[in-house]
Amino acid sequence: MSNFLLAWIVLIPFISSFIIGVMYLYSIKVARVPNFVFSLFGLSAPLLSFLLGFSFFLQMIGNDEIFLYKAYRWLEIDGYDIDMGFMADKLSIFMVLFITFVGWLIHIYASGYMKDDKGYGKFFFYFNFFLASMLLLVLGHGPIIMFMGWEGVGFSSYLLISYYYEDGENVKAGNKAFIANRVGDFGFIVAMVTMFYYAGSNGFDFLNLKESLLSVPVPVLTFIGFSLFVGAIGKSAQIPLFVWLPDAMAGPTPVSALIHAATMVTAGVYMVARFHFLYDLIPHVGLFIAYVGAISALFAAIIATKQTDIKKILAYSTMSQLGYMFIAVGLGGYSVGIFHVFTHAFFKALLFMGAGAVIVALHHEQNIFKMGGMKKKTPLVYFTMLIATLAISGIPPFAGFFSKDEILLTAFSSGEYLLWIIGVFTAILTAYYMFRLLFVVFYGKNYKEDKKLHFLPKSMTTPLVILAIGSILAGFIGIPELLGGENLIGSWLGNWKNSSLHVTHSTEIILMVINIFAALLGIFIAYKKFYMYDMKEVPIFTGIVWNKFYIDEIYDTLIVHKIKQLSIFISYKIDVHFIDKIVMGLSRGFIRSGHYIAKMQNANTRFYAFTMLIGISVISTYLIMVLR
Amino acid sequence: MDFGILSVIIFLPMFVAFSLLLLPVSSKITRNIAFMTAIVILLLAGMVYYNFELTGYMQFREHHSWISSYGINYSLGIDGLSLIILMLIATLIPCAYLWLWDGRTKGYWVSMLLIQTGITGTLFSQDLILFYFFWEAMLLPVFMIIGMFGTGNRVFSTIKITVYTIMGSLFMLICILYLGVAFFYEFGSWSFALNDLIQITTLSRAEQIWLFAGFMLAFAIKIPLFPFHTWLLETYSNSPTGGVFLLSSIMAKLGVYGIVRFVMPLFPELYKEFAPYFVWIGIFGLLYFGIAALMQINIKKMFAYSSASHLGFIVTGIFSLNAYGMTGAAYLIIAHAMATGGLFLLIGKLEYDLGIKSILALGGIAKKAPLFTVFFAIMLLCIVGLPGTNGFVSEFLIILGTFGFSQSAGIVSALTVLVAASFMFWLFQRAILQDNGNDVSQMKDLNLREVLGMLPLIFLIIGMGVYPDWFFYKIEPTIQHYLIDILEIRT
Repeated sequence: MSNFLLAWIVLIPFISSFIIGVMYLYSIKVARVPNFVFSLFGLSAPLLSFLLGFSFFLQMIGNDEIFLYKAYRWLEIDGYDIDMGFMADKLSIFMVLFITFVGWLIHIYASGYMKDDKGYGKFFFYFNFFLASMLLLVLGHGPIIMFMGWEGVGFSSYLLISYYYEDGENVKAGNKAFIANRVGDFGFIVAMVTMFYYAGSNGFDFLNLKESLLSVPVPVLTFIGFSLFVGAIGKSAQIPLFVWLPDAMAGPTPVSALIHAATMVTAGVYMVARFHFLYDLIPHVGLFIAYVGAISALFAAIIATKQTDIKKILAYSTMSQLGYMFIAVGLGGYSVGIFHVFTHAFFKALLFMGAGAVIVALHHEQNIFKMGGMKKKTPLVYFTMLIATLAISGIPPFAGFFSKDEILLTAFSSGEYLLWIIGVFTAILTAYYMFRLLFVVFYGKNYKEDKKLHFLPKSMTTPLVILAIGSILAGFIGIPELLGGENLIGSWLGNWKNSSLHVTHSTEIILMVINIFAALLGIFIAYKKFYMYDMKEVPIFTGIVWNKFYIDEIYDTLIVHKIKQLSIFISYKIDVHFIDKIVMGLSRGFIRSGHYIAKMQNANTRFYAFTMLIGISVISTYLIMVLR
Repeated sequence: MDFGILSVIIFLPMFVAFSLLLLPVSSKITRNIAFMTAIVILLLAGMVYYNFELTGYMQFREHHSWISSYGINYSLGIDGLSLIILMLIATLIPCAYLWLWDGRTKGYWVSMLLIQTGITGTLFSQDLILFYFFWEAMLLPVFMIIGMFGTGNRVFSTIKITVYTIMGSLFMLICILYLGVAFFYEFGSWSFALNDLIQITTLSRAEQIWLFAGFMLAFAIKIPLFPFHTWLLETYSNSPTGGVFLLSSIMAKLGVYGIVRFVMPLFPELYKEFAPYFVWIGIFGLLYFGIAALMQINIKKMFAYSSASHLGFIVTGIFSLNAYGMTGAAYLIIAHAMATGGLFLLIGKLEYDLGIKSILALGGIAKKAPLFTVFFAIMLLCIVGLPGTNGFVSEFLIILGTFGFSQSAGIVSALTVLVAASFMFWLFQRAILQDNGNDVSQMKDLNLREVLGMLPLIFLIIGMGVYPDWFFYKIEPTIQHYLIDILEIRT
């Protein structure tokens, strides 16, 4: 009855973004619209969606009801209907809640961060558009609707990365993000189309697919699973399609917080969890996913240890954390993966926003080795950042500890010890590079200029505090039973874990202790190397890690450059010098033969008589031969 | 509609054009009258749309003797496919006229009106000789408009396109005559009506293949399919805005329309038999032209390749032999016409204001002309096939249809999501967004008239993307009719 409100969760941000967009155009063409009007619309949309989502959340407590709302028939061909529909189950409403809540906080933060920007209205237009697409992605009742949101977030990410469009480099980064995402979308579409033919006959939405996929042969399922995962790789920046994420930091910092840390990049994880009924049938693909995740996690963490740009460190750390999530969902621990998505949203958004605050305070300086001593100058930012850093490093009782611990436990209890080792090793690296950042920025002595710090408005600092509280508390919804918790999230999302292996409590404790020690070890190394860091000059790095393993260069040479060459070959060599030569040659041939034929009309009586003679003899010979 | 509404739609522009030519009126009055004519035709088309019944058969038939001794008749009719193309033309042309408002002479407007007559005539003809007549008649004003109002090496380009397409059409004419003679031998009377010619049973397989090839050649040149595309670049690049607008958004689609209207019913068996080749030729064209577009410096040449790339995809759709692919192709005809037409109008403005066609000499437009940029972006997204635009609906359906036809073809065809995106976004970056330090101070943002001209297109692009069902139901029966009655494919 009230199910139509589901559509409104998505519609409200859409409408608000449309209004803001039109007002923005009005403000640049006709008369200025004051900033608070934009932020009024911009901030109220996520809040309203959050409240609506919360009302559905309340209705779901204690039962397994799934809310379904079919808005209209999207299209009908061959007697087959595809609807525009929305579905809220426990997974999607959980996603809606934290997307809108964290999104709302980031909106507040952005209203301070972007205060002096000329494109203030445009920013909120894009931001709300992103949020609407993300909610569509989460609430879509079938793969097609989900794909609409999926592409929508990709496009808004493009818009926001190339926000400062006058600099071509930023737009280039946006293009890169869009194209890399589209490579993933190619996989998504292929999977969708295959699924449509093999399992779509009973209706192409998640509830029906769940049933009809059971009768599809395993090789086809494997193909679908792989193709879908290609989509997830693109969106969640895993190997090999991760190259866009570090460049995506060209956008304003709130964008990095909202899109490239808390929400959009986790869409891939969400997708795997959403298609859990598919991946349950093909555990070998799941294992592959887990390994891609593990390798991405390790790879990104290694690169992060050598980066100097504060936002790029965080970008690689995001990629690394996403890798953890894929380990979990790949091994069938869907609720565990989503749990990490949830905690990560808090502490990573906080890290980005803290970094943004530092960047603003230092007048848009992003190199950590040009910062220092920020602990005294911005104590609030320091404390919140410290909490987030502890959380991401996996120190109890902060949020990241619980979710990361569960992921590693999943790996261990599934018998995938290699994944577990990679996970633990990455945890050391994570603690190391995060505390390296913290020590250099907040304790370092590099920053000696006495330039006055830029003022940080309340709208920027308040969300930091709220998120810091979140980073402390978010983990408590998933406290394992071992520690006397109830693992609320696990029971909320349903018992999805399909691993039959169970570990004893003593093993669990040992694993937990190992994780904590891993984090402490990383912190200790960082402390030794970077505490009270002082250096006369900004260090210059070289080497393969600093150059990010030359992946960008390899892609450029092997793919981009080759396609460009092919393009030139096609358009200039084949088209101009071959096909068109033939076409024009034919037409010239006609002209030339015309010249030859014209030469016969040369007013030479003897020539005419001669040709007549030939003609007569040919005809008479023919007649003789025929009539004989 | 007793008064022959289709005839009125066809001949009103021609009548107006000749009257204007004879009367001593200024170019300003000419453009006002041309615009009003376009509006009247839009209204008439609206009447047709409203009264169109939901069947797959020909409606609004008109029939008059023309050259009765050879059974050549003036015979018109429309079905769902021609209906949506009619609606497309009727909607696009007034919008385009609003954009072509300034600085065009009388001859320009007269040519535009005459092209409109040729296009609608081609669309309605049910008699093959009549069809051929309009098909060629369409070309003459194009010849004039490029030759007189084009840029660059315009005379060469206009002769190239004319000779090239006429050569193709001549083969088609021979085939039409051959069919007529075959009909005469079999039934003892002359006729060139499509409904009669499809009853011919005496043709041998070899004859059929030759005739099929003759028709396909004419249409392949018009579309253009690989490798008959080399006229495209120069023509598009040197055409005036109105010419390239009509060429890309409507006339190219008539090639596809011709295949569906004539080749499919005349040679249904061959159509099915050769479908795999054409599906792959279409996909090959999609990729080939898409890659070729990547490194174009001339913005119009890039769009020429882009257009050819999408038309290849449309051809893939119509040969996919199922409802998804064919409906998708019909939808892409509309979607692409709007987007590419809109883009050529926008580029026309760019060229008009700045006199630049090179991407490298542009840049920084976004700051100077925000409305222009917004509209440009929406058109671009439709070409790229972003969900929420009709481009997505059509591309998705064609991929679906192609997959149903052959799984490998379907997977390769899904590459379309990468093709257009790669060059379009590069173009958008270099030519529109980033500041290259080029002087673009002459660029003006859209005025109210131009916004009004663009809004219907934007509205349709998004409306058809968000709520496609509403636009589908008039085509659906026709597609079913093609599949079940003509191709005899049961679903």
